[in-house]
Amino acid sequence: MNESNKLTIKDLINIGVFTALYFVVFFVVSFVGYVPILMVLLPFICPIVAGIPYMLFLTRVRKFGMVLIMALILGLLELVMGRPWPVVLIAIAAGLCAELILKAGQYKSVKSCVLSSGVFSLWMIGMALPLFFGYRDSYLAGLVSGYGQAYVDTLASLTPDWAFFALIALCFVGGIIGGLVGSAVLKKHFKKAGMA
Amino acid sequence: MQAQVDTFRITGERSILDPRVGMLAILTVSAVMIGGSITGIDFWLRLVCCVLPLLGLVALRRWRFAVVYAALYAFALMMEGAVFQLTSGAFNMVVMILGGLISRFFAPVVMGYCVMQSTTVAEFIAAMERMHVPSAVTIPLSVMFRFFPTIAEENGAITEAMRMRQVSGMRRGLVKRMEYELVPVMMSTVRISDELSQAALTKGLGGDTRRTHICEVGFRARDYVLLVLLSAVLVLFVVT
Repeated sequence: MNESNKLTIKDLINIGVFTALYFVVFFVVSFVGYVPILMVLLPFICPIVAGIPYMLFLTRVRKFGMVLIMALILGLLELVMGRPWPVVLIAIAAGLCAELILKAGQYKSVKSCVLSSGVFSLWMIGMALPLFFGYRDSYLAGLVSGYGQAYVDTLASLTPDWAFFALIALCFVGGIIGGLVGSAVLKKHFKKAGMA
Repeated sequence: MQAQVDTFRITGERSILDPRVGMLAILTVSAVMIGGSITGIDFWLRLVCCVLPLLGLVALRRWRFAVVYAALYAFALMMEGAVFQLTSGAFNMVVMILGGLISRFFAPVVMGYCVMQSTTVAEFIAAMERMHVPSAVTIPLSVMFRFFPTIAEENGAITEAMRMRQVSGMRRGLVKRMEYELVPVMMSTVRISDELSQAALTKGLGGDTRRTHICEVGFRARDYVLLVLLSAVLVLFVVT
């Protein structure tokens, strides 16, 4: 590995490729959300699966900034998908914390990788944001016309305000599980092939 | 299904729109289509946003795609507007999912497709450079957009191989199935990303000097027209 801390073109390309992979996995899994109950659990289910490509990405990360840029791009993508703007800030914050945890582990320790996977998945909280706080009423009203009253009623009854904090916890736990699954997959498939 | 899912255009003359206006178009269309309701003023805004990708397809001369697009939207809007009110229960759910999926996601995807198809990577990067976006963001972004179709392609090949060896389907459970699908995709991702970095190095990316380019980027009359239209839609959408 290069000693310098500046990001090389190889790192930037790795970020791009793995962000694409991460986003595709995330996007496919998030289609589960069309079932109302599962939509609430989405911040729990998504990180479990998305943790696998994330852990693979971490095997390529040795410099400060790579996880942060990934989080920024994911945040921007979510913004384009029509979520409220704080998603970008949440994503940047989550990315920065995940980055710092990794740095504390010298980018090598598996434990800090798993922990950072948990923290990194908190960027997905932005997805659930419209359901809570100031956005709630207008968001639900908008959903009624698009998704139907039955869907919205189920959704509303499942999400009192405290659920937001429960979701943060769920998301974190999901990320940790995802990290563990990811490192298991890496051990099973990639170590053997000399790719991790 | 042998869909052609190229993102950035490979060669050719200057693109129809300035990449910056194109990105604003994607942003606006997806904000309105995904987040908007289907009553009141939002209805008209959504109508505008449905038509924009259609114009893009016509401008690119993708006639068949344009016809399919128009038909699908007529279908989805009818589902949302009329059939939806007349049904209830499980059937209502089906109508909601079908109509909602098509009307909410199809327009942004097609808009993105149009902009990408008419923009080269060089133009995209040049336009981003004009906006003073650092290369630490532009390079991953352009690699990422270039990579989405690659993933689709790899995934298709893997699914085909699985079908040939008769390991497809859910016979061994969802988790196994996901492992069989995801691990090979990740394997090829790693390999392709290595190859890409080598290719980029041979093209001289990553040096410290400023790269030059021969593509013209700048606003023309049509860019300004679209810019005004998009801003109007966006303002109306946010304000109301």
